[in-house]
Amino acid sequence: MAFVLPGSVPRTHGGPQQQQFNPYSENGGTILAIAGANFSVIAGDTRQSDGYNIQTRYAPKVFRLTDKAVLATNGFAADGNMFVKKVRQRLEWYRHAHAKDMSLHAIARLIQSMLYQRRFFPFYVYNILGGIEDDGSGAVYSFDPVGSYERETCRAAGAASALVQPFLDNQIYFKNQTVPPGNAHPTHLSLAHVLSLVIDSFTSATERHIEVGDGLEMYVVLAKGSPLQGLDTIQGITELTSVPGGERMFVIRRKLKRD
Amino acid sequence: MSIMDYNGGSVIAMVGKDCVAIASDLRLGNQALGVSSNFQKIFPITDRIFLGLPGLATDVITLKERFRFRVNMYTIKEEREIEPETFAHLVSSTLYEHRFGPYFCEPVMAGISKTPSGGTKPFIAATDLIGCLNFAKDFVVAGTASEKLYGVAEGLWEPDLEPEDLFETISQTIMNAVDRDAYSGWGCIVHVITKDKVITRTLKGRMD
Repeated sequence: MAFVLPGSVPRTHGGPQQQQFNPYSENGGTILAIAGANFSVIAGDTRQSDGYNIQTRYAPKVFRLTDKAVLATNGFAADGNMFVKKVRQRLEWYRHAHAKDMSLHAIARLIQSMLYQRRFFPFYVYNILGGIEDDGSGAVYSFDPVGSYERETCRAAGAASALVQPFLDNQIYFKNQTVPPGNAHPTHLSLAHVLSLVIDSFTSATERHIEVGDGLEMYVVLAKGSPLQGLDTIQGITELTSVPGGERMFVIRRKLKRD
Repeated sequence: MSIMDYNGGSVIAMVGKDCVAIASDLRLGNQALGVSSNFQKIFPITDRIFLGLPGLATDVITLKERFRFRVNMYTIKEEREIEPETFAHLVSSTLYEHRFGPYFCEPVMAGISKTPSGGTKPFIAATDLIGCLNFAKDFVVAGTASEKLYGVAEGLWEPDLEPEDLFETISQTIMNAVDRDAYSGWGCIVHVITKDKVITRTLKGRMD
């Protein structure tokens, strides 16, 4: 149990006794984001657990922040939810002050300072921010719990990050793959290919990790004016776009094994 | 940190179509300090059985010699080569003899066994440090990079791979797994075992 109530430990003998309160728990699950040339995919499973107990089979870990930014959180769910709430509040203040949405790189820097402000009582959360940069390129920013961050092409975090990240190194960065002379690795992966890698990553993680499963949510952000790239043929897709003519946002939901 | 992670190292075995493969890294370390880049963890037991021993290096060497001795005694008494299934149980019982003071190794074995009808069947197995057997139908992993190996293998492996495809699959799996593990790496070795030959290849890897 995460919260030990003061005085709940029976005093069986004399001598000094120490009581302690642990404000953190670890709620499992895994998140993943991959950036393409003009799109970004941000995904997470929906299981929330505490030890061997499943608290819920549907607790979203991936959140839409603006028309072009999506934030995935993983670690201590209560901190994650509170952190997203606070980021959204800061983004709303920015809108009121500047009459526009904050750009992605600025949100990344904002998240860094919000995390570092809590340097000595951190939000116990690994964040991955995905979306579209001002120049129309797909972007992924990954953070540690105290705000150290980096822009990357892909990143996995959470319970099954050790399972997924080396697979991504191989399939996204083509690590340890040498090409025959005269050939070359593709410079940008297609959206359909990226989505199939995300689904494979989560089905693999579900197979081998007990804290991953139940459901998969994949957010797709398309840059302004870019084609649908086959998204219209995908089953169970919901469009979340708010302003026509801008970036388009979709969410794709899939079932994962429940055992 | 566990005594099992003291020297580092990882092993994986996979099943293919009428073939099996076993691979390991070549690192020997003293915690984070690299000591050797040519430390063998996979040993031939018979012409078609290989045994991988990741774990505490001193026990790797002791167990290698113990299994050599026990298999030799078996061969002399039975006047035939040991079958992979039998060998797996020999490994299991040898480790369980030390139930309350175990060798800190998690053996992984791969071989081709004979069927009663005269055919052959690929065989892989792994045990924990006290000899609990795991006869998997797809792949088995052990060592400091085991989590990473599970993730990549689950993504890359498919049933009925031909020997050359199995070689590529197991090689990509171990290379990408050990590159994310500080305690494994420094090159790899891969053995692909078919019913009539063994292909052994040493792979160059990242040296950091």
